[in-house]
Amino acid sequence: MGTVIEVEDLRYTYMENTPLAHQALAGVQLSVEEGECVAIIGHTGSGKSTLIQHFNGLLRPQQGRVRVDGQDLSDPGLDLKGLRRKVGLVFQNPEDQLFEKWVGDDVAFGPLKMGLPLKEVRDRVRWAMEMAGLSFEAMKDRPTYALSGGQKRKVALAGVLALRPKVLVLDEPTAGLDPRSRKELLGRIEGFNRREKMTVIFVSHNMEEVACLADRIFVMAAGQIVAQGTPREIFGNREVLLQHRIGAPETVEILYRIQGLGYPVDVGAYELDSAAAEIVSILRPQGVKSHGPGI
Amino acid sequence: MKEPLIRMEGVSFDYRLNSEEVVRVLRDVSLDIYPGEYVAIIGHNGSGKSTLAKHFNGILKPTEGNVYVAGFNTKDDRYRREIRRRVGMVFQHPDNQIVATIVEDDVAFGLENIGVPPREMRKRIDAALEAVGMSSYRNRPPHHLSGGQKQRVAIAGVLAMEPRCLVLDEATSMLDAHGRREILQVLRRLHQRGMTIIAVSHHMSEAAEADRVLVIEAGRIAMEGPPREIFQRQELLRRLQLDIPVATRLAGRIHERVPDFQPDLIHPREIVDEVVRIAGKKGAAG
Amino acid sequence: MAREFELTRNITVGQYLPTGSFVHRLDPRIKLLACGILILAIAFCNSYGGNLIVLAFSCLLFRLSRIPLRYGLSGVKPAIPFIVILAVLQLLFYGDIASGGRVYLEYGLIVITSDSLRLVIVSALRFIEIIFVSSVLTLSTSTTQLTHGMESLLKPLGYLKFPVHEFSLIMTIALRFVPTFAMEMEKMIKAQASRGAEFGTGSWWQIFRRTKEMLPIIVPLFRVAMERAEDLILAMEARCYTPGGTRSRFRTYQTTFRDGLTLLFILCFSLLLWMYPFPY
Repeated sequence: MGTVIEVEDLRYTYMENTPLAHQALAGVQLSVEEGECVAIIGHTGSGKSTLIQHFNGLLRPQQGRVRVDGQDLSDPGLDLKGLRRKVGLVFQNPEDQLFEKWVGDDVAFGPLKMGLPLKEVRDRVRWAMEMAGLSFEAMKDRPTYALSGGQKRKVALAGVLALRPKVLVLDEPTAGLDPRSRKELLGRIEGFNRREKMTVIFVSHNMEEVACLADRIFVMAAGQIVAQGTPREIFGNREVLLQHRIGAPETVEILYRIQGLGYPVDVGAYELDSAAAEIVSILRPQGVKSHGPGI
Repeated sequence: MKEPLIRMEGVSFDYRLNSEEVVRVLRDVSLDIYPGEYVAIIGHNGSGKSTLAKHFNGILKPTEGNVYVAGFNTKDDRYRREIRRRVGMVFQHPDNQIVATIVEDDVAFGLENIGVPPREMRKRIDAALEAVGMSSYRNRPPHHLSGGQKQRVAIAGVLAMEPRCLVLDEATSMLDAHGRREILQVLRRLHQRGMTIIAVSHHMSEAAEADRVLVIEAGRIAMEGPPREIFQRQELLRRLQLDIPVATRLAGRIHERVPDFQPDLIHPREIVDEVVRIAGKKGAAG
Repeated sequence: MAREFELTRNITVGQYLPTGSFVHRLDPRIKLLACGILILAIAFCNSYGGNLIVLAFSCLLFRLSRIPLRYGLSGVKPAIPFIVILAVLQLLFYGDIASGGRVYLEYGLIVITSDSLRLVIVSALRFIEIIFVSSVLTLSTSTTQLTHGMESLLKPLGYLKFPVHEFSLIMTIALRFVPTFAMEMEKMIKAQASRGAEFGTGSWWQIFRRTKEMLPIIVPLFRVAMERAEDLILAMEARCYTPGGTRSRFRTYQTTFRDGLTLLFILCFSLLLWMYPFPY
């Protein structure tokens, strides 16, 4: 296990040297280990999108350093195509980008562009579709326009998976999905990370989602990483959440209110069961607490 | 008994895919919406909830059955304007419903359409922007606003027309948690002032705000009742794969171990109150 | 390289620069009219003297509207190649026609006389003046005001059954969606590049290949545009829009004494420019 993404003092300004110049990244410091699942959270405009677009070389560092799997992105001789295969980037509402008439063709776009032999392309499409939760046999010859929103998103996801990336980067993967599709997609993403050992980096506004998926959380504000840690550490840190206008899972919100009334509860207990245990412990003071000390 | 503002009688709706194929999206739906009510319509994508919503102001007309808005049948085109003035609608995509290059002008759009004189418009626009808390953005171009702000502008555009009912067709589904909270706050305020609100959503947590919840599945009304009752039928909700609010689930877990703890809570504040009720104020003293 | 995808960010149509000056506060209709009259006068002015006066006047306009002159100059910059080509062509071919005055140079077919030189310099000046004047208009007037002003001026065409109002609404909506589509396009290019798409790999004559490379962007963009249009129609209908129906107007412009005076001044200035026999 090594470090797969390493960012040092990264700065980026849009429309540099014009009156509209706007600094999106102001010295970002972060590193992601192989096989991790990390979440990047922060208010709109905090620089999350700009940051993740550096991971596959869509943006190149203006100042500072980004290293992906040992390759320096400032290197002028960088193999961009190789990098974009290694780091699969799934944009927000990726279903917008489908353009082929048939599902199978759209998923095959990436592998075909790589110039792989047809058999290999087919194998990859099959694998990617199954991974995304689409039956290859049943879905490959369906027209893309006739699919439901949730299915379209899976096709778009398969289109990126077909590149067989080592690192999967997702921007708001479940935005706009209904709870049924959301739950399924989250399960899939968890599978990529746990079973396929892919490194997963995702941006999300949904704290329930962050709480259930992420091993580690980076909090961004004004173009910098202002806090990082496990979900328990981050959600237990009320000041950071409030200061940067980031919500917390509802369980944490409830625990905070209870703590505010003077009851000793561990506000970092974001999982439903541990939150329930925290509350039970103050209702039955003689009971044994399941997690760490209060306050 | 008050007269219903919207009455649906045995409404079915067929969506025509092409010349041969027809899909039945709504099946024999009957319901009444009364003035001043806050109704949440919950369902998955493809359940027919959006199609249902578009019947409330006559954008869609039933294949079978009738819809009456303030007594006007939506099938009669002569009343189209009367109906749409009474029932305003806000849609899903914040970007796709703003027509003007300046916030204020966008709010004016509907007023221009119904021929309100300019002097009167000024007053109504100010009041509408005030009601959604966007007064200070009146001269901004809309594309610099956040999603939640754009939706508030869209709501203001409808409010300015002084409707009796506001329909939100998944108006929060493209927003982040922060934007969603902004919109829910605005809705709560409007409801307190007596506005009838129909909120279509796939988030159960938004239903907790409502007086009455309708769950739509496969074009039919699958459940109906006040949110507290709906959330207690967890078996059915789970089968429909709908999410249950965290407060309700948490209350359930606690109730299993502390039987005295009420299981039928739906708001976070109710959990806190219940903790105080059982543990007593002694916690406050330390 | 780093800016490979940054072409479309923060695009602004027109380039309204609100400084709240006297010029900004003028009635947009008056500004449009005045601008039209001035451009007409410039087009007919072919003396050195007249053009220098107009040039000075247009610099004064920048001053009056409190807009830095460099905004005007940045508008001239992209036009420089055009001005140069025009000048060269005029020098080459107009020597015969404008053959009056003193002959400066005669080399084969190329004849440069004082008259043809005047033609070249005056047209370059006129070009710059027109850019200056129209820049002041677009920099001091928002696109909304421009469309409203245009609609108001075109109103008489309504009697000829020209759909003035619809025309202006379409203009407004188009302007409203330019930034949206620019963002959308940037995102689409990046998303397709992320899954291996490459753009502009063929040479310029391989039109087929280059078009094919653009399909992954054009097809989805078009579809998204259609979806947006459908949504927009629904939203407009829900707000009681009926095509061709009578509407009232939120923005009404009251022409003030100051507006009238401005127009009168521009009119006199233009007439003077046109009539006065400048010695040079």
